[in-house]
Amino acid sequence: MRVPARVFADEKLLSAIRGDRSLEQLANVACLPGIVEASLAMPDIHQGYGFPVGGIAATAPPDGVVSPGGVGYDVNCGVRLLAAPLTADELGEAREHVVHEISRQVPAGSGKGGALALRGPELDRVLADGPRALLGRGIGTEEDVLLTESEGRLEGADPDAVSERARSRGADQLGTMGSGNHFVEVQRVDEVRDPEAAAAYGLREGQVTVLIHSGSRGLGHQVCTDFVKRMDAALGRHGIELPDRQLSCAPLESDDGRAYLGAMAAAANFAWANRHAIAHGVREAIGQALGRGAAEGTCQVYDVAHNVAKLEEHAGRTVCVHRKGATRAFPPGSADVPERYRNVGQPVFIPGSMGTSSWVLAGRAGSMERSFGTVCHGAGRQLSRTGARKRIQGAALRRELEEQGIVVRCPSNRGLAEEAPFAYKEVEKVVSVVERAGLAVPVVRLRPLGVIKG
Amino acid sequence: LFRWVEHTGELELEIEADSRRGVFEQAFEAIRELLAEDPGGPEQTREMSLSAPDGPALLVEWLSELAFLGETEGLVPVGISELRLGERELSGEIVARRAHPPHLVKGATYHRLTLERTDEGWRATVVLDV
Repeated sequence: MRVPARVFADEKLLSAIRGDRSLEQLANVACLPGIVEASLAMPDIHQGYGFPVGGIAATAPPDGVVSPGGVGYDVNCGVRLLAAPLTADELGEAREHVVHEISRQVPAGSGKGGALALRGPELDRVLADGPRALLGRGIGTEEDVLLTESEGRLEGADPDAVSERARSRGADQLGTMGSGNHFVEVQRVDEVRDPEAAAAYGLREGQVTVLIHSGSRGLGHQVCTDFVKRMDAALGRHGIELPDRQLSCAPLESDDGRAYLGAMAAAANFAWANRHAIAHGVREAIGQALGRGAAEGTCQVYDVAHNVAKLEEHAGRTVCVHRKGATRAFPPGSADVPERYRNVGQPVFIPGSMGTSSWVLAGRAGSMERSFGTVCHGAGRQLSRTGARKRIQGAALRRELEEQGIVVRCPSNRGLAEEAPFAYKEVEKVVSVVERAGLAVPVVRLRPLGVIKG
Repeated sequence: LFRWVEHTGELELEIEADSRRGVFEQAFEAIRELLAEDPGGPEQTREMSLSAPDGPALLVEWLSELAFLGETEGLVPVGISELRLGERELSGEIVARRAHPPHLVKGATYHRLTLERTDEGWRATVVLDV
């Protein structure tokens, strides 16, 4: 290990964390060339592949590396929150109609249509410019773009570094959710903890919100596949030895490193455009169910990435911050936070599990001092997919959720069972650790009204 | 024989077979099981030609290619009609049905990747990102 490994957790969470290989993976990350300060993990850490999910690693030039596995296959998987101009009481029984319309407008993407099919120069524009490239098609607004992390566009995106195979895998998938743990959830603001920040974010008690969780779909998956293979083959040439082959990496300033950063940035821009297109589908659904006024009054709160590598300034030097299942959480005053949120800090969204609450947080100065401006990204799994299926059948879970008043649209009972609430840690405990560590503060709690899964 | 081993976040595939070829055949069956939620349409064939720096990486390529065909062409694997397996290359032809398989497999990873001979035969482990 070149640096220590450090976990943000309390005793109880640490006990759960010790139940899988995540700490071993965290220690492996500490062996990466050029890693600085520590290999860090958030309280939602769980076993991944190579990097643990919930892991953070900052590397510094000239020796520092970039690792595609430290970003993951779903480049810029992330979440976007929309706020509708009505309360849950005002929505009333229409929520089932809204959930149904969203399930029609936002396909999972497995060959069932509904996606934006982009080719050649159109796809190149999305890869280079992100969601801004879709504004001319009447998809989303300029304000949506401004209220997106990095304004939905990573510098240095290189469409030419994205392989034809990646393009063919993702070109027909823009505006689709994907499967696994991706979802669109209709919610209500259940509790306001920080009225000033809530007001700045445009959130009030009882309000209806929509949380979108998706990523770069097959395009990003293939970018990671291509570069893990390329860097694995080049490890000897770069003189790098690793404890795990999936940590394959290349120096930031090498041809391999630069090519990956260009391709990853393009895939990240594609992911922001994907969530932008999904948000458009959500607005269309709200329009169908509740009228144009409700659709036009549905505003974007923010959009954050939780699988990405970014060059950032920390403690007076440029580092490449890998966030693998972790969210940027810049504090009040940061120039990278949109002007309207600059007094209260960057919004961060922490989805819980189906049937439990999610949280909106605001970044705090402690994150810059202790975690390279980063917090957790969710509740964190604690039970395997097969383990979840052994404990409950999808149909039974569907009934349980519906008995709680949650409308469920999910074509796969198997997929539903795998995402059962008990498969995840308690999101309140995770948020509490982040708050006590001074990384972020809770702003509002969100409770599910309906969920659409791929 | 293949089985899914407990893994908190992803799917860990463990395979035991009499031969190295048997490992690749069982990996095919595992992907078939994952993607076959839909009976699909008429059978089609696809030629395969893959290479990698070593045997374990070739197994990753094989799984990745099957997932890629499922995602880009909606092909659910049904059977292997021909398989020529070298140390670092693979070619042959598979039979598949066109359907709407879930986009489940994001990638086949190199994490704790093994393909090795044992006293009983051959054994492999691959973690899939799902």
